Amino acid sequence: MIPYSGLLFFYLMALLLLPAVILGLMGKPLKTYGLAFSVMLLAIVFGEGGQLPALIGFYLWETAVFLTYRRWREKLPLWLMVPLSLLPLALVKVGEVWSVLAVFRLLGVSYMTFRAVEVLLNLHDGTVKVLSLFQWSYFLLFFPSVSSGPIDRCCRFVSDLERKIPLEEYASLLRRGVWKLMGGAFSAIVLGGLIWQYWLTPLPEKGLLPTLSYMYGYTLFLFFNFAGSSSMAVGTGYILGIQAPENFNQPFLSVDMKDFWARWHISLSTWLRDYVYTRFAMTALKHRWFKNQRIASYLGYILTMMTMGIWHGLAPHYLAYGVYHSALMCVNEALDLHWKPFKKRKRKGWGQLCCVLVTFHLFAFGLLIFSGRLF
Amino acid sequence: MEQRIAEILAELCGVEPEEIESDLDLFEEGLLDSFAAIQLVMELEESFGVSLDMASLPRERIANPAAIAALIQEKQG
Repeated sequence: MIPYSGLLFFYLMALLLLPAVILGLMGKPLKTYGLAFSVMLLAIVFGEGGQLPALIGFYLWETAVFLTYRRWREKLPLWLMVPLSLLPLALVKVGEVWSVLAVFRLLGVSYMTFRAVEVLLNLHDGTVKVLSLFQWSYFLLFFPSVSSGPIDRCCRFVSDLERKIPLEEYASLLRRGVWKLMGGAFSAIVLGGLIWQYWLTPLPEKGLLPTLSYMYGYTLFLFFNFAGSSSMAVGTGYILGIQAPENFNQPFLSVDMKDFWARWHISLSTWLRDYVYTRFAMTALKHRWFKNQRIASYLGYILTMMTMGIWHGLAPHYLAYGVYHSALMCVNEALDLHWKPFKKRKRKGWGQLCCVLVTFHLFAFGLLIFSGRLF
Repeated sequence: MEQRIAEILAELCGVEPEEIESDLDLFEEGLLDSFAAIQLVMELEESFGVSLDMASLPRERIANPAAIAALIQEKQG
């Protein structure tokens, strides 16, 4: 069973959401049932897919790392704990390309691991001082965003979790949540399904024109499918009283690649910006690693985009996707710095229109790489 | 303080200090990017003697000159 797909899944989810709706409309706290909801659906979905033991193993491993670091954070180095937290993700990703480790399979491991790592980083920074086992478990296992994000932030999540939601506010959340669920289902299942069935599937595998057609079709398919899935996840979260962040903001209106990554898969790109790019660039500046400060920015973009590529997988097309976006971000940075008309005109009139069209095509080609069709 | 913030922003964004209005959305207008935001935070730390944790600083706190001034005042106690 795949989350947000198939009538049986939606039937079960609706059934399990019903007690949450009743509790919410009675003004009762939702967090205890919310965790139970997540555990029940995870057990059903992962149990049916044969991945329940892997999920339990993952949870126990990440929880052990979290509890150890929470207890001895002054003594234990972050450089040791983060790799330990990343280990399950690394095993799954290596297992995808190396059959010896193919036994390590876990749906949603990329999303869950980034949530776990974020908690460690926040504990290290002191932005999270207290996090109970209950809060940790609910944050890590929050079902609505387990398979396709968004990657929520710990502090934001916990503040929603511990907040008492007045009846009127819950009624509004419920209404918006149902709309998001329905809109997301229409986008992912109907529009995405139609594009897949009638545009992508009949295309021949080889040839320039079919490949070009595939590029456009796949870009639209991925947008409708992914944005729809994210919307359903956000909508389900609303019904549980958790207002997870939006993951898309009109990405095809972006004027350059920097703008694009602020609008597409926002929760991943902001996660990478905050925890990879900013940390690297800030450290480089503070320790004066480079004579030219901007080198820190270029290297930061390369590091960030390569991490993004590897996060998707270790197959050659994912690595190439990371390299491609590293190059695009560096070119974007160079244009911003050294070609004044670009920065001046990209948000005005015809200049904006040209930039939007070019950015769309650059990204569409990136998705063609991502799709694996070129390899 | 507002004058100094406008000067820092003007230098980072490549505009005149007079163009920096207190409610100007620095990210939305494309004046600040991720790297310029880091430079801004470091410059603010040096100029005002405050400690700002960039890694955990929400963007809204430095999104416009008024928000930056409020942040500095808060950190200065």
